Amino acid sequence: MLSRTASNIYWMARNLERAENITRLLDVTHNMALMPNSKGGRQELLAPLTITGRLDQFHERHQQVSADALMDFFLFDELNEGSIYSCIQAARGNAHSVRDNLSSEAWESINTTWLELRHRRQKGISHQGVKGLLEWVKQRSHEFRGAAYGTMLHNNAFHFMRLGTFIERADNTARILRVKLEVMTSQRDNNQAIDFYQWNALLQSLGAYEAYHYSYTGGLSARNVTELLTLSAELPRSLRYCVGAIMNLLSAIEGNQGLAAKRLCAELHARLEYGQVEFILDFGLQNYLNDLLRRIHTIGDEIHRSYWEGA
Amino acid sequence: MTKIQIPGPEVFDEMLHGDGARAHYQAYLDWLQKTPDASLEQKRLEADTLFRRFGITFNVYGEEEGTERLIPFDLIPRAIPHSEWVQLELGLRQRVTALNRFLHDIYHDQDILRAGIIPAEQVLTNQQFQVAMMGVDLPGETYAHITGVDLIRASDGEYYVLEDNLRTPSGVSYMLENRKMMMRLFPELFLAQSVAPVEHYPNLLLDTLQCASEADSPCVVVLTPGRYNSAFFEHAFLAQQMGVPLVEGADLFVRNSCVYMRTTTGPRQVHVIYRRIDDAFLDPLAFNPDSMLGVPGLLSAYRDGNVVLANALGTGVADDKSIYPYVPDMIRFYLDETPILNNVPTWLCRKEDDLAYVLENLQQLVVKEVHGAGGYGMLIGPKASRGEIEHFRQLLKQNPSNYIAQPTLCLSTCPTMVEEGIAPRHIDLRPFVLTGREIRMVPGGLTRVALREGSLVVNSSQGGGTKDTWVLEGAPC
Amino acid sequence: MKLSIDHVTSFSYDTEVTHSIQYLRLTPPELAGQKILHWQLEAPGSIHKTMDAYGNILHVCTVDQPHRGITIRASGTAEISDTEVPETHNRVPPDVFLRTTPLTEMSDAMREFARGFSPDTGNTAHTPGREQLIELMTALLTRIPYRPGITHVQSSATEAFSQGFGVCQDHSHIFIACCRWLGIPARYVSGYLHAGDDQHIASHAWVEAWVENAWYSFDVSNGLATNSHHLKLAHGVDYLDASPVRGVRWGGGKENMRAYALVDQVDRRQSAEQAQQQ
Repeated sequence: MLSRTASNIYWMARNLERAENITRLLDVTHNMALMPNSKGGRQELLAPLTITGRLDQFHERHQQVSADALMDFFLFDELNEGSIYSCIQAARGNAHSVRDNLSSEAWESINTTWLELRHRRQKGISHQGVKGLLEWVKQRSHEFRGAAYGTMLHNNAFHFMRLGTFIERADNTARILRVKLEVMTSQRDNNQAIDFYQWNALLQSLGAYEAYHYSYTGGLSARNVTELLTLSAELPRSLRYCVGAIMNLLSAIEGNQGLAAKRLCAELHARLEYGQVEFILDFGLQNYLNDLLRRIHTIGDEIHRSYWEGA
Repeated sequence: MTKIQIPGPEVFDEMLHGDGARAHYQAYLDWLQKTPDASLEQKRLEADTLFRRFGITFNVYGEEEGTERLIPFDLIPRAIPHSEWVQLELGLRQRVTALNRFLHDIYHDQDILRAGIIPAEQVLTNQQFQVAMMGVDLPGETYAHITGVDLIRASDGEYYVLEDNLRTPSGVSYMLENRKMMMRLFPELFLAQSVAPVEHYPNLLLDTLQCASEADSPCVVVLTPGRYNSAFFEHAFLAQQMGVPLVEGADLFVRNSCVYMRTTTGPRQVHVIYRRIDDAFLDPLAFNPDSMLGVPGLLSAYRDGNVVLANALGTGVADDKSIYPYVPDMIRFYLDETPILNNVPTWLCRKEDDLAYVLENLQQLVVKEVHGAGGYGMLIGPKASRGEIEHFRQLLKQNPSNYIAQPTLCLSTCPTMVEEGIAPRHIDLRPFVLTGREIRMVPGGLTRVALREGSLVVNSSQGGGTKDTWVLEGAPC
Repeated sequence: MKLSIDHVTSFSYDTEVTHSIQYLRLTPPELAGQKILHWQLEAPGSIHKTMDAYGNILHVCTVDQPHRGITIRASGTAEISDTEVPETHNRVPPDVFLRTTPLTEMSDAMREFARGFSPDTGNTAHTPGREQLIELMTALLTRIPYRPGITHVQSSATEAFSQGFGVCQDHSHIFIACCRWLGIPARYVSGYLHAGDDQHIASHAWVEAWVENAWYSFDVSNGLATNSHHLKLAHGVDYLDASPVRGVRWGGGKENMRAYALVDQVDRRQSAEQAQQQ
């Protein structure tokens, strides 16, 4: 398929995934912000900014980190490339320029999301409406995915779309883990309550709360949370799952391109597939995640080089 | 039922004649009169929502980037009796055949210029005449693979050709989407009457494009300037319907005189480019050097016969308004036939006598720029203010050869849904003619409607809308 | 006269160019007045030889590998006639060269200037002859003296005329615009000039006008109504159509171009020896 088309579809999926990820994060933040400061509420407010690396940008326009300012910044601020509005606008732009490669139902789904989001932005949103909006974004994201899975040919276009989804998702999971763990390890005062809420928040922001309780009996532990989010073969947002998906997608894409990406991905996947949480904790989770993020970025660069710059 | 405003006697209305319906519209009018207002209004809203959701929009130049607007769609179809269409089709075939012969001729032996039928200088110095096409032999000698001919019906009930579009005529996607919408909203109408189908147009187009190349299983692409172009929807739509890649200039490159596209599996040769980019932007090494919309080197590959452009380079000279008056002569010269379709009488302001007449009668005439399009750069005498007329008088005196003038023809009307109910509005018709091994077209075309009361400008960029066009098979004459 | 030419054009770029393509009109055609004894074109990448609509020899040069510079070298020897042998064969009708292009438009000032050279103002049936065009050429050089550095490569005829100075490209554009306005087909010619002194930057432009059923040369910058010292590369409606090198690149940032053309008269004795050997 056309390189530009592949690139647009890939970025469409990345932008959509990014919108969904920030939505989950905001949802959790929104809940945590309702809690008293002693339960780590302030730290939680900072999380979306540090995870997405937008703290400085935020401070250019807002003096204080408040729940309202944060929502302003991440919902509808078109100057913030990481806002839900910007991500969906970009995704719709990508989709628009390759609409002939999407099924009409997939295209209509994303186009409708964009039109309605724009409408909601014009109408403005109340504090009470935030929760509803976040729910809506998640639903729209599910709807698009359903339309795409159910109506598109599972060919190259589809593979590139999923490739974008999983690269973005792996990146997101690793970033969230890195920031959250830093926060939690920096305040080792054994406050059980804070820990509980923070682990909880972490799981929820990755849609893994129910999965955790399904997989592990007993309370929340750092070991188990780390194991689930990095090494689980079943959790669709775990690092192993994402990297495995990327590996399979790369080999499903037609042609002999992308050898470097395929090799790097297989290596990384082997590390995760045969990895052990004890090793990770010994090695230092922070180091482990930094290394992993670097590898994911290299794979992303290689995809770029071989599929849309190589021709 | 909705009140239907009766048109005045001075115009030809497609549906109404006196206070009754024309025979081919009787069944529809009966249905319309039985349909409650609220139901029609409901359907209208539904159509709007659907068009917006499908993203069937166009971009308007000069507005903020990415402004996408709907072309207003009118629910009341324009119907043409089959017998009338048969005549139109014959006329269109004849006209497009002659235009293609003309293009081949002027880029080769120039018999028509030698015979003195068209002044040579008028062709050779025309900005749309592409010197680069001289001596290039095209497969099948086809220049205009896709032609959109703008027809109007005047008060005398006769059809006239207003202009031929041989560059990158657009609008066919609206023809197809309008039909889809009508079938969705009013299935009962299609059960009751036999409306000739148009849905196979993309198949005919693909076949035409494939046949344009001499390669075995040629690779066809649609070349678009990109998603901010006013007709981007149509480019994407046609690519999707034909199942061919939609490319931008940067997706293509030239190597060893062949054109390739960049794909995820490496370069792939392209044989036919259905290009929706104007000549001047196609190759920055040969034409406008600042354009990055095109493909550097394309001209050399094209001249070498390694890629087909549809339409060919340099077709614009045949639809130039200063050449238009000669089309009936072309038909006589090349085909030795009598023209079937009428031309509108035209004064060429480059001629002294014509200019004098035009300057004296500006109030009655329509004055157009010879290279203009989209309803811009024109004067409609009877509707113009004194100031506008004086402005044009100056323009005409300064650069007479840039203008032509025609009598103000009153376009026929068709009942149309407007705020006050249903009222007559002026319309035209653009059928699309495909030229390959044979000439083919789908019955009908795109009907455009001027939504403002009394307006004669049907262009979508200036407040025009569209209607579904029905060729009614077996309808009484 | 026998000339040897060595013409090198080098481009260098600040950053890497991923892909570039050039249209090269750097190979002189065989004409009644010029015989090509030997010619060689060296350029990087893949080269495809073809011919443009005017009959000029065109090479399309594509470089696909990342590069920081390109060097193109055209060299060879040619025998040119001491007296002008105007071309009479036409691949495209002469009237094509009555077209106006953005580079060859007329301004009011230019019309004022050219008006005097129309033999019968108001009657377009009569066009000036060769003698009048020679007068026009001489007057033009007086009005717009040769001076480099005032105009640039994109300057149009009207711009150059209003600036009052120009180089061969500007002189040619202005002269062409005036000829066409007077009803005479005129075309832009690019090529080389042998100026007499041994080494000279000699990439040059002049004009051919269709008078008395032949294409006569007018080298405005040198006030020459002959092409006895000229080796022609290509012609077209204006500079953009006939330029020796026209390219597009992806990436590269700022471009630096260096070019030199050495045009030498080959020693007479040597040419005599060669003639005997043949």
